[in-house]
This record gives sequence, C-alpha cells and structure tokens, in this order.
Amino acid sequence: MNMDKPVRRVAVFALLLFFGLMAQVNYVQGSQADKLQSDPNNTRQISQVFNNPRGQITAGGEVLAWSTPTGKDNPKYGRNYKDGKVFSPVTGYFNGGGSKVELAYNGLLAGTDKRITHQRWFDQFIGKKPEGGNVDLSIDPAAQRIAYEKLVNGTTRRSGAAVVDIKTGAIKVLASNSSFDPTDVAPQKGTKGGQLLEQMDKTTDIIKPLIDNGMSEVFPPGSSFKTVVAAIGMEELHLNENSQVKTGHMTLPESGKELPNSHDGGSCAGTASLKGAFAESCNTTFGQMALDLGIDKLNAGAAKFGFGQNIRVEPLMRSAKSQVPVSIPDLATGKSIPTGKDATARSGIGQENVQATPLQMAMVAEAVANGGKIMQPYVVNRATAKDQSEVYKASPKVFSQPMSSDTASQLRDMMRAVVSEGTATILQGSNIAGKTGTAEQGAEFPNARWFVGFGPSDHPRYAFAVVSEGKGDGAHGAGPIAAAIMQAVMKK
Amino acid sequence: MHALGEQIRAQIPYQRRNAASLALLGFAMVLTLAAFAEVGLARDGSIPAGLFVYGGGLVILALVAYAAQLRFAPFADPLLLPLAVALNGLGLAMIYRLDLDTSADRKAAELAGKKVIRDAADASGQLIWTFVGIALFVAAIAIMRDTSNPDAKLSFTPKTAQRYTYIIGLGAIVMLLLPIVPGIGAEINGARVWINVGGFSVQPGEFAKLMLVAFFAGYLVNKRQAMSLIGKKIGPLSLPRARDLGPVMVIWVLCLGVLFIQKDLGTALLYFGLFVSMLYIATQRVSWVMIGVGLLAVAVFVITLLPFMAHVNQRIDIWQNPRPYFDGGCLMKNGKVVPVNPNTDIFKQAKVTLEAKAQQQDAAGQKATALQTRLVGPGWWACTKMGGEYSDSAQLMKGMFALGQGGVLGTGLGQGKPWQTPLSFSDFIFDSMGEELGLTGLMTLLLMYALIVQRGMKTAVAARDPYLKLFAGGVSFALALQVFVIVGGVTKLIPLTGLTTPFLSQGGSSLMANWILIAILVRMSHDARKPAPQAIQDEGMTQIVSLR
Repeated sequence: MNMDKPVRRVAVFALLLFFGLMAQVNYVQGSQADKLQSDPNNTRQISQVFNNPRGQITAGGEVLAWSTPTGKDNPKYGRNYKDGKVFSPVTGYFNGGGSKVELAYNGLLAGTDKRITHQRWFDQFIGKKPEGGNVDLSIDPAAQRIAYEKLVNGTTRRSGAAVVDIKTGAIKVLASNSSFDPTDVAPQKGTKGGQLLEQMDKTTDIIKPLIDNGMSEVFPPGSSFKTVVAAIGMEELHLNENSQVKTGHMTLPESGKELPNSHDGGSCAGTASLKGAFAESCNTTFGQMALDLGIDKLNAGAAKFGFGQNIRVEPLMRSAKSQVPVSIPDLATGKSIPTGKDATARSGIGQENVQATPLQMAMVAEAVANGGKIMQPYVVNRATAKDQSEVYKASPKVFSQPMSSDTASQLRDMMRAVVSEGTATILQGSNIAGKTGTAEQGAEFPNARWFVGFGPSDHPRYAFAVVSEGKGDGAHGAGPIAAAIMQAVMKK
Repeated sequence: MHALGEQIRAQIPYQRRNAASLALLGFAMVLTLAAFAEVGLARDGSIPAGLFVYGGGLVILALVAYAAQLRFAPFADPLLLPLAVALNGLGLAMIYRLDLDTSADRKAAELAGKKVIRDAADASGQLIWTFVGIALFVAAIAIMRDTSNPDAKLSFTPKTAQRYTYIIGLGAIVMLLLPIVPGIGAEINGARVWINVGGFSVQPGEFAKLMLVAFFAGYLVNKRQAMSLIGKKIGPLSLPRARDLGPVMVIWVLCLGVLFIQKDLGTALLYFGLFVSMLYIATQRVSWVMIGVGLLAVAVFVITLLPFMAHVNQRIDIWQNPRPYFDGGCLMKNGKVVPVNPNTDIFKQAKVTLEAKAQQQDAAGQKATALQTRLVGPGWWACTKMGGEYSDSAQLMKGMFALGQGGVLGTGLGQGKPWQTPLSFSDFIFDSMGEELGLTGLMTLLLMYALIVQRGMKTAVAARDPYLKLFAGGVSFALALQVFVIVGGVTKLIPLTGLTTPFLSQGGSSLMANWILIAILVRMSHDARKPAPQAIQDEGMTQIVSLR
C-alpha cells in the first residue's frame, strides 16, 4: 500500500495553511492598515504626528501657523503661530489633538487625508512620508488684528466679534477677548504645554481662554434680538415699517409688573411707526409683539436664523447653541419649566433665557443685508496639497431664508434709522447700520453690550456682530468697536 | 503502484546540485549582510561594527554547514540549507536591530556614564545559539553520513531510529514531563514549558516534537496495514480495532494531559495536528481525520468549561473581541467585558485602595506583605473582586498595530518602532518583521517557509522507505503547522498561543531543534535523490585492470 497520495494531500493542505496566512497578512497589512493606524489605543500615532511637518494655515497672504523642526527626537516638529492670541479663535491649537481649523483640517494639514494620499498613492506605496497640505482662511488678518485690539481695550471682561461676507458666508473676522496663544501649548512645549491646556480647560473662572467669545460662547442679545422679533412680526403679523404700533407703557400679564422702556420720550411716548420704535428700541412694542406671536412662533421663527442648533462652520467646528427656549430644565427637580407670558414678553427684548453667539447675531444681520438669505458660514477658503494643486475649495451655499426680501429691505431701512435718528447716532459717519443691544445679566454682572448690523450702509457687503461686557449701553460699548472693525473690513 | 514517487525519482537526474545550493547560499548571505547593514545605516548612520561579528559569524557557520552537506550528503536537496540560513540570518538581524545594546548611540551613552535600560533582546546570545544550532546540524549530518556499512561506529541514520521507536516515544514523554518536575521546571509567561539546565532555560518540547514524529512514524509504519484494513464499518466510517488504536491513544492523551497542565495550548494544537496528519498518511482513512477533528471539538468544548483552563478560554475571547481587553479587561459571568485599563475609574480606585492597604501593612510592620500588595496589578485585583476573569489583549493589539504601521512596504529595517510590541523578539517577531519589512517581507518569509515544507514533502514522496516517507512527511507538516499556529496567532487569524517562530524567534531550544529538523530532511533528501545501488552482475567476465 502506497503513501504517496496521502503525503501529496497533506502537502496540499500545508500549502493551504500558508495561503491562509498569506491571505490574512494581505488583509491586515493591505486593507486594515489605515484602521489599525488610527485605532484609539494605538500610541504609535501620537508620536507619529510630531514626526512630519504639518502644512501651513494662511490668511490674506499671511502665514498664521507653520511647523519648524525642533532638532530633537520627540517631537521632531514644533508648531508656531503668528499673533496667536489674535487668531486662535480660528486656527485653534495643535498638540497631537487640536481644536478649530487645526482639528477640522487635521488630515489635510498632516497629509494623511484621502484627498492628498489619493494623489500621492505611489509615494505612499514606496513609503514616502506624508506631506501636509496648506489651508487658506477667509479671515481678513488686518481686520482681525484691529478687532482683537479693540475688544481687549473695550472691556476688562469678555468680548467677541464676528463679521461675515453676506454674499458667500465667508467669515472675515472671528475675534475673542479672552484668548490664548496656541504656541504656549504647541508640541515643542512638552508636558508644560499639556498641563497649561488642562488647566485652561478645567478653569471654573468666568473667563475661559480656551472658549472663544466669537462663536463658542453665548450672551443674552438684549435689544439686538428685536431685529429677529421684528422680522418674525412683519412676516407673521403682516406689519411693515410704517405700521403704527404702541410704544408707551405696558404691564406684564402674569405679574402685573411694568415692562420698562429705556426712555419715555421720542418715539417711545405712546404710539409710533414700527421703524421709530425699532430705531429708539422701545421695549414695550417688542414685548407686546412677542406676546402676540407667542413663544412657539418666536422659537420657530428664530430657528430659521439658526437658533437652537450648533451651526456648522467646518467639519468638527461648530458654534455654541443660540436659543429662544420654549421651556428650560429646572436643575433642582429635573422637570422642565415652560416659558410663561411674562417670560415671553421679556424674550421679545432678548432677555429672560434668550441667548446668542456673536456669529449667530451676525447671521441675523446677514439675512437683513442679503435680501433675507443667510449663507452657510465657513472659514476655510481653500486647501492645497504640497504641489499647490487644489484639494478643497469652499462652495458658498444658502443656509436658510428666514424672511422675504421685502421684509429684509424694510429692516435695512430700520437699521439705518438706528444710526441716523435712533440709539446709535454716535456712529454717524462710519457708514454702517445696525441695532444696539444692552442686556442685563443680573445684579452683580456687567451688561452685555451689543451692536449688530451691516456695512456699507447703502450697499451692504458685510454683516457683523460685536458683544462686549461692561457698564453702559451697546451704542457706546460695542458701537465704536464695530465701526473700527468694519472700517478695516470695508477697505478691501 | 509507486506512481508518483517513481515519477519524481525518474525525473531527478541524480545530479549533485551543490553548485545551485552554493549560489543560493550566497544569496542568503547577501540578504542577511544587507539586512545588518541597513539596520546600522538607519539606526546609527554607518555600517555597524556588528556586521563583521554577526554577519561574518553567520557566513562562516553557513559555509561550514555547506561543506558538511557537500561531504556527507552530496545528493541533498539544494534549497533546504540556504532557506534555513536565510531565515536564521534575517531573524538574527531583527534581533540585532531590537537589541539596543548593539546600537552605536547607546554604546556612546554608556561610555559617557549615562544610565541605560537593558532590554530582553539579546543578539550575541542568539548568535551563540545559531552557532550551536548549525554545529548540531553539522554533527547530525556527520553522524547520519551515508556509509555502505549500516553498522558503522556512531552511525545513526533516520532509518536507524525505527529500531528504537518505543524508546524514542518514552523519551518524548519524559521531555514533555520535565518542565512540571519541581526544581528544574520554570513557568514563564503563563506557560510551564521551560526547564533550567546549568543557568540556561531550555524548552524540551521543541525536541519532543521531533521525537514524537519519529515515534509516530515508527509505530504507524508497523501497524498501518492492520489499522487501515481491519475494522468495523459503521456507515461510511470504518472504525479501527481498539488494540490498534489503543497505544497511540494512550500516548496522545498523555501528551495532551501534560500540555493542559503546562497550559501550553499552542504545542497541544501542534501535536494534535501532527498526530492526525500522520495517521492519515499512514492509513489513508478520512475517518481518522474525522475522529481526530471530532476529538478536537470535544477537547475545545471541555476546555471552555474547565475553570482552571481560564487562560485558554480567554485567549479565544480576546481573539474574537480584543478591544475591551486592551491594557486589561474583565470578563464577567454574564459574558460582558468590563474594561479595567489604567484609564478607568475602576483601576484608579483599586490602585488607591491597594496603596492604602499597603500603607496599613507598612504601618503594622509587615514590610514583605506590603511589598507584595504593591506588586498586585490593580486591574487584576479589581476584576477578581468583581468575580470576573482578568485578561489583557495589549500584546495582540500592539502586534497588530505594528503590522498596520508596516503597510505594504514596511518602514524599512531600523526605521520602525518594533520594540513597542511586547515580546517583539520572540513570540511577536513576525509582527516586528511585518512592521519593518512590510507585507512584501512577510510574503517572502511565508514563501520561504512554504518552500522548506514543500521540499520536505517532496522528499517524503520521493523516499523509497515507508518509514522515511512518514518521517519526512511528519517533520515537514510539523514545521508547517508550527508556522501556522504562531503566525496565525500573531496576525489574529486564529487565537494567539505561544509557540516559537521557527528560525526567527530568539531562543536556543527552538533554533537547535529546527536545525536538527533541517539536518534530518537534508539527509533524507540525499537518500531519496541518490542513484539507486546497482546490482553487481557478472563480476567474473569483465575485469578492469589498471595499466599503469
């Protein structure tokens, strides 16, 4: 009896075992390699990200963030930022992890993004190191610098500003006071940087350097919110700028208390046109309008502007949530408390629980200035690979249309009236229009002072919102800052 | 009858293929020396001094081995020796690369009086074992030399082993039992497979593998006629008689029993596969294979139920779902896995509790107990308290990360970070290779193994003697299975079990056993390929007379 046949079969089986191993190795190293490299437990990548230079972040021809070799083994490359405190609300930081654009475009900057690796698949195949792409921002660096300087000088507490291009949604300015310099937490700073980052992250102080006040923090919008209420009122209650509205005294329906006006003279004396009431910011008119609309319509109308959502600026870069709540959760009992009639009236003047980011308010002004349309905000114009080929380009698209172009046109008139004859006459000659806001934040806190609008006044190109905490009103606290920023922006 | 074997023998021109062997050996040398050079260039920026010691040492050893083969087994298969040398050389280069003591930077730091941490990769040790391994190869070839006198002094051909079948079988069992003998046995990494001999750790199981093959071959070649022809037919299956099956079963059960006590599942799997495959070769009965696979299924089922075999059970669970076990996971009774890695609150709390306990013991003056308490892993401790089974998949996952890092072409020798994988020089050396040589390198390594196995199988087919046929087939399949179990384990094709990667892993026992294995194959291939002895006829009619 012969054993050749079974030996041959066992030989074939042994070959099959090897084929199994080969298939598995091909599967793991060929198709699973990416997944394994990005596994959260994989510590190789953490040091890996410092081994190759990242691309640059540029704006208006200026290089804002770039990598340089450290001459050390780990990290091999450090990250530098020009005027870090000015631009950190947009660039964010990088230290392995990151924030803002450094996080949103991490793959492109590191050169590991598919859009780049697909181009250089052959380089990758032969094991060349990834080459980071460059990211160009829509930010106007000169205006951004002025914004930061004016914001810092304007208050000892928090302030923030946002300017958007109304035709495209491109963010031109996104500035914050307080801020931080990302160079201090860059990879070359080692564990010190990490500790500083953790300390800034965990601070319970009201001033949080890591949170930018341009889009990541909310403030009560005060009277600047009347722009939203007016727009909803004109759409839903069929009012126009010349409609006669009550501007005198008003008692709140539940408590019987008075809703105060800032002054009793002028348009706020009894009745006036809606335009007049808006220009002089009569609280009672808009308190009543909010009551007429009801909190649900107010909430739904505001939602069209972007309230109630984290507005996406870039992937992984979203704004804080602005809101006009129909109810708020009671932290003590866990139940939700519905917004009552008094609260609704106060919501109509941007108080109570209404909150907004400067970016959100700039978008409100954008709707007014742009014929009722809001464009999707963005901050990255384009991204290029190392060989200058374009791998990403922003494509402007409509975010929403919260009002008709007719309403928008009338609101533009009303906002111009604020400067020409209303609460912000000190800004005459600065070629901008807008709405002031002075929100109370409680007895021991300073006011949130707003100026929200557009410029140039006649043919608007940009919409803006500035908030600054401090004593006094919006026209004086935020108006001049807005005027200075807009002067720089409109130069272009 | 001998269709295939005759065909192959007919095609072999009985030529000595020594020139081919030498050329291939030269190529293996170039490969190894280039690997050493690349490590040095990538790591220190210069050709390493180790190139002359390690690379040169290997060249001399290989040439000695070649000379021995030329002298004692001139008709040997030309591929076996060069393949083994190339694998051994690449393994040595990788261990050299992992052994930081061989780095010029490190030597400079040491000279400057800086503190350096020693690592477990040991290139000079591996070179010594390579020397011993190849010396054994030479010795084995010399002892098994082809002489016309089968009873020559110190002559022990593979065929001779047939005479000592039962002694060899007994020897295999003794070898397997040694590690559990108190005093000389040692448990390392959860497996009790080591013995201490004069300061060295030896894995007797590596040698037992070869002895078992010899035993199975000897036993089966005697009994195979009876086993394959006589038996009860039940349906399509024909069951053997108890007395044919008995002795083999006894040995087999004994082996597995020993292995379960030693908790070395990899070796158990290896012997099991070996046993079934040799039974099949001997009897050509598929029913044997089915009985074997059935027994395996039962064994695995039983293992998963036994509480003291948790070690094995968890390896299977880790293989299926490694993620929650990373840096410590706890398998609860309900089948859920609770992570207890150092980032979890459970771990942190346990650490605090343990430290408090240790301080209490310190205060009570129990220094030794306190020290022990501090050595307890908080993850393990918390898991045991919760009533679960602690396990850690970091090894496997890190090995996989190494493979992922390598990608298609690898980072290049000396340019990756293979030391981040635990046991990167022994159990996980295949993953280290994968990181630095990439998919391309691994495919080459697998092809080299496959070639050795197929050359061995070809030797088995071409062998004239049924005993040698079984022996060669068994030895080749053992090698294939060993590569499959360990490489499949570290690439997550099958559950991970500890086995050495032949010729690559750091460790003396494995190298020695595998060099003997190659020597046996070389000798048997020489037998199979040499011209058949010609019968001397008509001696008186023609006389050759020297005219000078």
